[in-house]
Amino acid sequence: MKKLFDRVFDGADEMFALAQKALDETIAELGENAPVSMPNTAYHLANHLTYFKRQIMSLKDLRAAFEEDKTWNIHEPDLGSVFKTGYATFAAAEVIEACKYAKSDDPYNGEYHGHLSDAEVRELGVPLVTNDIPGFVVIHGKAPTDEEALELIKGYQARGIFVFLLGEVIAQARRLNMNMGFPVRVVAVGPDVWQVAHIISFVNRAAMIFGAVQPGERWDFDDYTFWRIHAFVNAFDPVSDLVVSCGAGAIAMGFPVITDDPKDMWPVPKSIIIQPDTKDFIETSLEARDIKLKITKVDIPVSYSSAFEGEIVRRDATRIDFDGSRFDSLEWVRMREIHEIEDHAIEIIGPDVEDFEEGERVGLGIVAEVAGKNMLTDFEPVIERNFHNFINCAEGIMHTGQRDLIRIRISKDAFNAGFRLRHIGEIVYAKIKSEYEALIDKCQVKIYTKSEDLKELRTEINKVFDTRDARLASMTDETVDVFYNCILCQSFSPAHVCIVTPERLGLCGAVSWLDAKAMNQLDPNGACQVVTKERVVDEHVGIWEDVNENVAAQSHGNLQQVTLYSIMVDPMTSCGCFECICGIETYSNGVVIVNREHTGITPLGMSFSEMASMTGGGVQTPGFMGHGKHFIASKKFMRAEGGPARIVWMPKALKELVAPKLNATAKELYGIDNYVDMIGDETITDDPEVLMNHLSEKGHPVLSMEPLF
Amino acid sequence: MPFKHNPQVFSSSIGETVLGTGEKALTLGGENVWSLYSFDGAVKNPPAVGIEFSDQGPDRSLPGVAAAYEGAETLAELAKKAEQVPGVQFVAFRLAGSDPNGDNESVADSVAKVKEVADAISLPLVVTGSNNIDKDAELLPKVAEALQGKNALLLNAKEENYKGIAVAAVTAYGQKVSGESAVDINLAKQLNVLFSQLGIKNENLVENLGQGVVGYGFEYIISTVERVKLAALTQNDAALQIPVISPISTEAWTVKESLATEEEIPEWGSREERGIGLEVSTAVASIAAGSNAVILMHPASVATVSKLIAELV
Repeated sequence: MKKLFDRVFDGADEMFALAQKALDETIAELGENAPVSMPNTAYHLANHLTYFKRQIMSLKDLRAAFEEDKTWNIHEPDLGSVFKTGYATFAAAEVIEACKYAKSDDPYNGEYHGHLSDAEVRELGVPLVTNDIPGFVVIHGKAPTDEEALELIKGYQARGIFVFLLGEVIAQARRLNMNMGFPVRVVAVGPDVWQVAHIISFVNRAAMIFGAVQPGERWDFDDYTFWRIHAFVNAFDPVSDLVVSCGAGAIAMGFPVITDDPKDMWPVPKSIIIQPDTKDFIETSLEARDIKLKITKVDIPVSYSSAFEGEIVRRDATRIDFDGSRFDSLEWVRMREIHEIEDHAIEIIGPDVEDFEEGERVGLGIVAEVAGKNMLTDFEPVIERNFHNFINCAEGIMHTGQRDLIRIRISKDAFNAGFRLRHIGEIVYAKIKSEYEALIDKCQVKIYTKSEDLKELRTEINKVFDTRDARLASMTDETVDVFYNCILCQSFSPAHVCIVTPERLGLCGAVSWLDAKAMNQLDPNGACQVVTKERVVDEHVGIWEDVNENVAAQSHGNLQQVTLYSIMVDPMTSCGCFECICGIETYSNGVVIVNREHTGITPLGMSFSEMASMTGGGVQTPGFMGHGKHFIASKKFMRAEGGPARIVWMPKALKELVAPKLNATAKELYGIDNYVDMIGDETITDDPEVLMNHLSEKGHPVLSMEPLF
Repeated sequence: MPFKHNPQVFSSSIGETVLGTGEKALTLGGENVWSLYSFDGAVKNPPAVGIEFSDQGPDRSLPGVAAAYEGAETLAELAKKAEQVPGVQFVAFRLAGSDPNGDNESVADSVAKVKEVADAISLPLVVTGSNNIDKDAELLPKVAEALQGKNALLLNAKEENYKGIAVAAVTAYGQKVSGESAVDINLAKQLNVLFSQLGIKNENLVENLGQGVVGYGFEYIISTVERVKLAALTQNDAALQIPVISPISTEAWTVKESLATEEEIPEWGSREERGIGLEVSTAVASIAAGSNAVILMHPASVATVSKLIAELV
C-alpha cells in the first residue's frame, strides 16, 4: 500500500509539472511582460498573496513566484511539510489558472464559472460568516450514477449548503438538467482538479475581507478557515494522487475529505473519512465538519403557536386521550452516544391514533434520544420539562403534567386535519433541535403505545428518576466549582442580581442551578453567567470575594457585598418576582415566610404585598429577603442565623408543600421529628402573641436560640 | 467659602466612530467628561445634529418644512436641500416605503433611492430601514453594498437580525452600523458583545438604546442612557464605550401632541410649534443624558439644538 505522504508528494509533483508546462507555454506565446490578473478582484492572485505576500502583475512576476512555490513543495515525511506541500499544490494550481486568464478574461466562455469575483466573495461571505449558509462542499469526480450525483447535490441544496463542483460530476448533473449558478448556490467551477485554485482563492479572500487576516500570516489563515469557514470535500472514487495532494491542503485548512475510494487511502479521524456508501456522504460530512442545520419550521398539519398553549381539549371533542393517571405513560429525554442516533428518525412503536376507538383512553410514551458534544445528562430534565410547552403549542393538542404523570389529548379536529403520533415526534424533534441548538447535535424520537412496552419503560424510567433525584440531592454548594448569576430581571429591577447555587435556586423559583448552567451553555452572552467561588471569605455564612466582585459588576456598582446564607447581613437582593418572602418576627426571634398566593395577613401585621414593597427593587433590606419555595427546606436557608429552625410561621398550603423535605432537613440538622408541626400558620393564628404561646407549647427550637439582634 | 472646582475627568472615555468621508466627515464620541460638562474638561466631539427625511417626501403641511424643501421634488433635490439646512451635520434618510406593512417596495427600488440620495450629498449619510426585522435583514446588506466608499451609518441592527446586517455593512462593505436595543443596559451591552464576537470593533459601531419622546415614559430612556455612560466612564466597560445616537424625529412627530390638528384641538395652538417643542425638548434632554447624536426632522429644531450645543460646548 502506497503511503499517504508519498501520494501527496507525487500529486504535488504532478501539479508542479503541469504548472511549469503551462507557464512556459504562456510566456512563449505572450512574452514575459504580458499582464496577469484575475477579473474583478483587488487581491491579485489571492493564493499567492495569502501564502507569499506576492502581488503578481505580470507573467514575469508569476514566474518568479512559481520559483518560490517550489520551495514549499518539500518532500519531508512530517505533517508540517505535507501541509505545506498541500498549499504549494494550490499555488501551482493557481499558476495554471492564471495562465489561462492571462490569455483571456473569460477562458471558460461561460461553460464553467472559474474565478469568483470579489463581489461574489462578499455576497457569499456574509451568509457564511453569519451561518445563514451553514457551510460549503466541494464535490470532485464522478458519482457512481448520474442520478446519485443529482441526489447528492440536491441534498446539500435542500440543507442550505453551498455546492462547488469540480470535474465530471458537472456533466452528470447537466445531463439531468440540474439548474446551476451562483443564485441557486450550485456552482460548476471547472472540469479539472486545478480549478480548485478558484475555491481556495475564494476562501483566502474571505479570510482577508471578513477576518481581517493579513497576507503572509499563515497561522491566522489556518485559524480563520478552521473556525469560521465550514467547508468540506466529497471526492468520488477514483481519487488520484493529484486530488490527494489538494486534499492535504484542504485538511490543513480544516476541511475534512470524505471519499468512497478505499484504495491506498488512510483514514484519519475528522480529516480523511472513508464512507463506502455515497448515499451517506451528506450525513457523514456534516458530522465530520460539525455542521448543525437550523430548523425553522415545525412540520405538522395543524397550526403551531404560543396562542394555543392554554387551549383545553374537552372530553367530547377528544379523539384520543392518553391518560397517564390510569395507564402507564411517560416522557423522557435520554442522552445517547452520537453514533446511536439517526437524526430526525421518528419511530412509532405500536398502534397509531386511527387504530384506537374514538375517545379511547390509552397510555403513551414519548422518548426523545439526543446526543451532542455539549450535552450532559444533567440537562435531560431541563429539556424534558419543556415538553409541556412544546406539545401544548400545537392547535388541538393538550398536554399536562410531566415525567410519568402526563396527559395528552388529541382533538377530533386535529385528527381530521391529519394529526398523528408522528407529528408529536416532529414537534419534539424540531423544538429540541432549535431551542437547544447549542447542546443537541442529533435527535431521534420514539413513540410507544403498546401497554407491555410502556410498563417496561416506566420501570426503567423510574430508576432514572431516582438517579436524577439522588444526583440533585447530592449536589450541594460545596460540591460544585462555580455558581451562576441571573440578571433576567434587570430590565425592570436594574440593580438586582441573583446568585444561583445548587442549594439556592433563583428567588422566582424558575431558575435552578442546572437551568442556569443550561442557559449559559445555550447563550453564553445571555442572562446567566458563570460566577467563580475560589476566594473564600466565609463559607459557613456564604461570602466569597469573587462572588462579591461579580455582584458589584453585574449590579453596575449598586451592590458591593452579598452573604448568600444570611438574611441579616448583606442579604441577597430581590427583583420583585420572588415566590416567597421571609421577614423577621421580633417576639420569637424567628422568621415568618409568606408565599405570593397567600392573600391574608401575617403575624408581622403585613400581607405579602406589603412585605414585598419593602423587599423588591434590588435593595438590601436586612431582615427581609425574597426567595424560592424550594429554598425553605435547604440546609443553607439562613444558615448564618441558625437555619430553618428560625421559621415560626408559614401559610398552611406552603407548609404542606415543603413539609416532607423540611422535616427531613430538620431531622438531619437538629434531630427534630415532624418539625413542620411546630410552625404556626393562619389556621392557628396571625397574632404574634398567640403564636408565641403556640411555639412554647410545641417546644419550637427558636425559643432557645440566640437573639437575632 | 470660596467655590472649589473639582473637575470630573474620567480616565476612561467613549470610543470614537467616524461617519462619512473627506472634509465633511463627522466624528462621534470620544468624550471623557459628562455630556456638555465642558467646564470639567474639553468635550472632544460635541454632540452632532442630523436632519431626517423619508422616501415619502417631507411633510409640506408644516410651513417651516415646506419652506426648507421648497422647489425640491426628486430625492436628490430633497437631499441637497436637507444638507443645506443651517446646523445640519449629517443627513438621515428613512426608507419608509420598504415597510412590508406599507408599500412593501422591492429591495432594488429602495437601494436605488438610497443611491440617489447618497450621490447628491457630501455630508455623512445615516440610513434607516423598514423597521421590519426580516425585511431589514434583506434590505440593509444590499444598501451597504450600494453605498461602498460612502462610510454611511446603517441603523436598526437588532438582536434578531444583527449578524447579516453587521457583517455585510461593516466587514464586507466598509460602512458603520448601529445596534438597536430596547431601553435596557444589559440588552445594549449584550448586542455590543455579539458585534465584537463577529470581529467588529467599537470604532465601527454606534448604539441606539431605544427612543421615546418626552411625556411618554421618557425618564426610562434617560436613565438607560445615563446608566450606559456611567458604566462606560466610571467602570471602564468597553462594551458600552460606544457613541449613542438618538433618532428623535420619528418619535416626536408621531404622538398625539404633534399629530392633532388645530381644528381638532384649537386650544393647543399651532401644530408645528407643538411638534418643534417636543422635538427640541426630547433632543436636549437626550443630549444632556449623554447622547452623541440626535436625528431631528424640523429645520427649526435643528437650528435651536445646534445653537444650544454650540453655546454650551
